[in-house]
Amino acid sequence: MGRGGRNVRAKRVFQAVAKSFAGPFPNKNLPPPAWFKALESIPPSEVLTRPVAIRHGSAPLKKGNFYKPSRLAYPEDQLRKEFYKDHPWELARPRIIMEMDGEDWRYLDWSKGLKQQRMALCGESVVQRQLWLMNHAGMSKQQAYDKARKEFYALRQEEDVGRRVAIEEARYVGAYFGKNQLQVGMEIEDQVYEQWKAWAQEEMVKSELKRSEAYTSFGEPDTQLEPEEEAVVS
Amino acid sequence: MILRTAAVRHGRKAFSPSSLRSLTTQTTTTTETPDAVSEGALPPTAPPEPANSIVSKVTRPPQRWSAKPRPDKTIKYMPADWTRYKEQQARTRSLGSRIELLHVPGHLLKNPPAEASLEMLMANQAHMGHSTSLWNPANSRYICGVREGIHIISLEKTAEELRRAARVVEEVAYYGGIILFVGTRPGQMPIVVRAAELAKGYHLFSKWTPGTITNRDQILGSLPLMVVDEMDREVDGFDKHLLDRRPVVPDLVVCLNPLENYPMLRECSQENIPTIGVIDTNADPGMVTYTIPANDDSLRTATVIAGVLGRAGQRGQQRRLKDAELGEVTWRNPREIQRFLEIQALLKAAEDEAAALKAEAEGGGSGSHKGDMPGVMNKEQLEAFQLLQDLERERREGGRKRRGDEDDI
Repeated sequence: MGRGGRNVRAKRVFQAVAKSFAGPFPNKNLPPPAWFKALESIPPSEVLTRPVAIRHGSAPLKKGNFYKPSRLAYPEDQLRKEFYKDHPWELARPRIIMEMDGEDWRYLDWSKGLKQQRMALCGESVVQRQLWLMNHAGMSKQQAYDKARKEFYALRQEEDVGRRVAIEEARYVGAYFGKNQLQVGMEIEDQVYEQWKAWAQEEMVKSELKRSEAYTSFGEPDTQLEPEEEAVVS
Repeated sequence: MILRTAAVRHGRKAFSPSSLRSLTTQTTTTTETPDAVSEGALPPTAPPEPANSIVSKVTRPPQRWSAKPRPDKTIKYMPADWTRYKEQQARTRSLGSRIELLHVPGHLLKNPPAEASLEMLMANQAHMGHSTSLWNPANSRYICGVREGIHIISLEKTAEELRRAARVVEEVAYYGGIILFVGTRPGQMPIVVRAAELAKGYHLFSKWTPGTITNRDQILGSLPLMVVDEMDREVDGFDKHLLDRRPVVPDLVVCLNPLENYPMLRECSQENIPTIGVIDTNADPGMVTYTIPANDDSLRTATVIAGVLGRAGQRGQQRRLKDAELGEVTWRNPREIQRFLEIQALLKAAEDEAAALKAEAEGGGSGSHKGDMPGVMNKEQLEAFQLLQDLERERREGGRKRRGDEDDI
């Protein structure tokens, strides 16, 4: 690197060594390095030319854009933006975004609704369902959005009801669920308030005492000053 | 070539070989030319060798770190409730919900793929580059587009280059080269260790000591070496020779984070060692010989790439050993070993002749034969003596080589 040029030394390792073997005084006894045959049959790819960038969408090809990578845009992008603008708290739900084998899309079929295999219900389901409705059911964007989001609300409600019923059933057969996290948090907060209250009361008593101490010296009349002292004081 | 231990003095732990490696030189895939000298040239202590036996060498300190999980030790003391707990667990195992898809974090590390599909690369985040403002325009041929302010690497290119790199690793392993896997970012330790285990290579997960290649006489000089044969078995009888060896250098370096290892890559290109590197959109692809455009910040990407390369190395090693069993050795003796064997052969011949003469003389032999005078060296003995002197002179020069004499590369 350095001085602005491209360093091609690493790319030309094979040529450098091959040249040293084919020079005016080749050393026939010298065995070539172990990688020599491998690199001879598998040369590195070219990197030092700059091809015209891959183009996406219909942006006009301008002179300044030849080599600049273009933007990747998908129809879902706008739908996703609108959904999360309307439902910002959907972003607060935890979501697993890791894929295991990258084949998850094979299990998705958006013609069947929002519930999909290997995928928990989330905003992305609405977006994909809406897109499917727009493309395959001939709906307009707004119609598809309304249909998809209403299905979504129903499923969310179903989840809530299911959770509540599960808790009721579990309680009926003897389960008990201690305090939830909010309760625990509030208790800890209350403890801290109580501590503060005790400390503050103590401090108030102390400051009261200090204040009253400061006034004690003014309570008693002083002995009468001698005339000479009076003169000095004045 | 002979290899000196690849362990670095500074970071023995970091640079320890994970298995026996052959050191080798060039490839002769056929057994056509057995070294004429090597037969009978080995000291008598050496095990019997095939006719074309070639000797190379490597050091192999004991393995210190392994990516494989250790087997559970038997627990001597069991809590009283343990048996009851296990019984209950077995009884109730069939109840409740069943987890069908389970994510096992170490899965890729334990079972590296032989080849990476585009889906696998994307699921492991290989396509995510850096912010567009940080890009190196030399990578533009690997970039698919811009999204959310970052460059997206084209996975077709990644897969293509990864396949090419895997072939290189496989061939270098087949020809008996030494492969070094380097990954010095936090978390890359098990990845490089696993790849080195598979490819019978070496690994580095701590700092690269600058000069380990270009100043190897100073940095690696005192580490032990050994000579192995074509089946990777150690060969005895080279102790005297090994004192004069220079440290070995790798034949191929695989680097998972080239940005942090720029000094190492520079040393490699200076010494004409090919390198393979994972190049993100902010790195210079000219740093390495073989570029793998991918996200170098993701440990999962690194696991996939190193796994594929490790598997390729494993295939190459298996092919090499299989061919060696059939009598085809894919590498040639380093020149120094050849010379050492020649000298040993000459000395042995001279000794034999002297012994024969002595026996003849003791047995009341009639006169000297072929005009040899007792106490005077004949032509062969003289030649051996001169070769020995040459060797000694070379050794006194401190192991330094002349510029045109680069046989260790």
